[in-house]
Amino acid sequence: MLRRTLAMTSVLALAATSACSGDESGGDDLTSITVGAIPIVDVAPLHLAKEQGFFEDHGLKVEIKNTSGGAEAIPGVNSGSFDFAFGNITSLIIAREKGLPLKVVSNGVTSTGKEGADFGGVVVPEDSSISSARDLAGAKIAVNNLENIGDTTVRNSIREDGGDPSNVEFVEMPFPDMPAALEQGELDAAWVVEPFRTTALDDGTEEVASNFVDADPSLSIASYFTREELIDDNPELIESFTAAMHESLSYADSRPEEVRRILTTYTDMDETLIEEIQLPAFPTEGDRDSAQRIGELMVKDGLIDSKPDTDELFL
Amino acid sequence: MTGTSTGPVPTTDRSKSAARPPAGGRRRRLPNESALLGSVGVAGFLAVCEIVPRLGLFPEKYLPPVSRILAELGQRLLLTSFWNAVADTIIAWALGLAIAFFAAVLLGFVIGSVPVLRAFTASTVEFLRPIPSVALIPLAILVYGVDIGSTLLLVVYAAFWQIYIQVLYGVADVDPVAEQTARSYGLGYWSRLRHVVWPSSLPYVFTGLRLGAAVALILTITAQLTIGSPGLGQQIQVAQSSGALTAVYALVIATGALGVLVNIAVRSLERRVLRWHTSVRGEVAS
Repeated sequence: MLRRTLAMTSVLALAATSACSGDESGGDDLTSITVGAIPIVDVAPLHLAKEQGFFEDHGLKVEIKNTSGGAEAIPGVNSGSFDFAFGNITSLIIAREKGLPLKVVSNGVTSTGKEGADFGGVVVPEDSSISSARDLAGAKIAVNNLENIGDTTVRNSIREDGGDPSNVEFVEMPFPDMPAALEQGELDAAWVVEPFRTTALDDGTEEVASNFVDADPSLSIASYFTREELIDDNPELIESFTAAMHESLSYADSRPEEVRRILTTYTDMDETLIEEIQLPAFPTEGDRDSAQRIGELMVKDGLIDSKPDTDELFL
Repeated sequence: MTGTSTGPVPTTDRSKSAARPPAGGRRRRLPNESALLGSVGVAGFLAVCEIVPRLGLFPEKYLPPVSRILAELGQRLLLTSFWNAVADTIIAWALGLAIAFFAAVLLGFVIGSVPVLRAFTASTVEFLRPIPSVALIPLAILVYGVDIGSTLLLVVYAAFWQIYIQVLYGVADVDPVAEQTARSYGLGYWSRLRHVVWPSSLPYVFTGLRLGAAVALILTITAQLTIGSPGLGQQIQVAQSSGALTAVYALVIATGALGVLVNIAVRSLERRVLRWHTSVRGEVAS
C-alpha cells in the first residue's frame, strides 16, 4: 500500500515501481491459482470459500479476478490466464462444440425450482397485455446475450406454454439497462436476473415466466470449469479446488444470511436491495440431465448442429 | 511553424478557449479571470444537474441529483480500494503512454526523415490508424488475459498513432532555409537532427503527446470497463452490474477529474519545455 501511495506522486516513480511490483505469492505451501468470475450474486460461494478459508484448508491460495462475463472467462481459461472460471452451461456447450477442451469441475449455481420465486425470470411492464409465457410470441424481449441461456430457455417457456417462439424478436442489452428500457416502453419484455429482477419488480413490472424452472426445476445454470490440460497435468489441484468449492456451496446453500453478507464485500449493491433479492440454490452437484436438456433445446433452436455429449463436459 | 498552438486542441479545454484574445485584438483576459469563468461554468453545470432530477424532468432513479453523486464520491475518497483503483489506472495510463510516446517519436523521426520510407509506409499507416483499439479486445484477451498487458495493448495502439502522425508532420515542417543553412555551415546529420529538426518539430511532438495522453486515458478506462482489468473502469463495471447507479456516476466524475488533471499536467510540461517557442511565449507575454 505504501508503494502505491508513493507511486501516486510522480509518473516516473509510477513507471519504476510498477516494474518491480511483481507477484507477491505466499511463501507458505499454498498453491496459487486464479479464478475468473463475474461480480454478481451467483458467485457468492466462490467469495465465501476464499473468505472462510475453505481454499486454504485444501492448500490453495486463490485470486479472484473480475470478468465482465463468459466472453472473457472461456478464452481466459483456454489461454491459461485463469486456472478456473465461472460460466453458464450454454456457453460451455458451445465452447466444447467449437473444440475448446473445457470441463466442468464443480457446480456453480442452480435454479431454485420455484415458479415465480427464482433468481431469474421474464418481466413485462405493468400495463402489458402479456400475461403468460404464451403471449410472449411475437414480442420484443431483451436478453443479455443472444444465442445463449436466456433466449434458449425463454423460447422453451413459450413453447411449453403452447406459444410459437419462432417470431420472437430478441434484442441484446446489458441487464442494468433493462429496467429503464422497460419503463420507457422500448421493450415488450425482458429476461432479468437478480438484482435487476427485484429492481424491475419494484418498478411495478410483472413476472410472466420463470424460464429456468420451465426448462428444468433443478437446472444447473452455471458451473466452474477448467481446461483439460490442467486436469491432466495436475489432478490433485483440480481435486482440491472441487473439494473446497463443494464445501463452500453447501455452506452457502444452508446460510442465506452469509450469502447476503458476502455480497456487500464484492459488489456495490444497495444493502436494502440485497435483503430483497431472491437467492439461487447452491447444490454441490450439477444436474447432468438438465445440461442434457439444455443441449437438446439448443439443437432445437439451431444454436448447435447435433446433440452435445454432456458426459464429455463434466469431469 | 507556430501553427501548432492553433492545431488540434481538445474541445474540452474550456480555460484555453476563454484565454484567447477577442477578435478585436483587445488585451487578453487575465489568467485568473478565465479560471473564474471556468468555475462559474462548472457551478452552472452542477446546478443544472441538481435541478433537473429534482424537478422530475428525468426520473431520479436513473439520474440522481448531483449532490447525492458527490456525497457518494466523497465516501469513496475515504476507501483504500478507490485509491488502489486510481493508482492502477494511472500506472496503466502512464506505462501505455510512455511506450506509445517513445515508439512513436523514434519511428516518427526515422521514417519521417527518410522520404522513401515514408512513402513506403504511408498507405499501411492509413490502413492501420483508423482501426478502433476496442476492436482488438478479443485479441488482447487471448494474448494477455485480463491483466495489465491487454490494457496496455489497447492504450499503446490508440495513443501511438496520435503521436506518430504529429511527429511525421513535425519532421516534414522543418524550415528548408534553416535546414540548408545548417548544411552549409557543415552540420552533420546528428547535429542537424539535434539543433534543427528536433526543436522545430517539438511543438508537434507535444501536440501529439497531449492528444495521446487523453486518448490513452480513455482507452485505459475502456479496457478496464470491458475486460475487467483492475482500475477505475473495473469499479464502474462492478457498480453497473450491482445496479448502483449513483456509484456509477460518482466514478464517472472521478474519471473526468482524472482527465482534467492529466491535461493540466501535460500542458504545464509543454509550457516548461517549449518556453522558448513563440506558441508558448505568445501566451505568457503580449
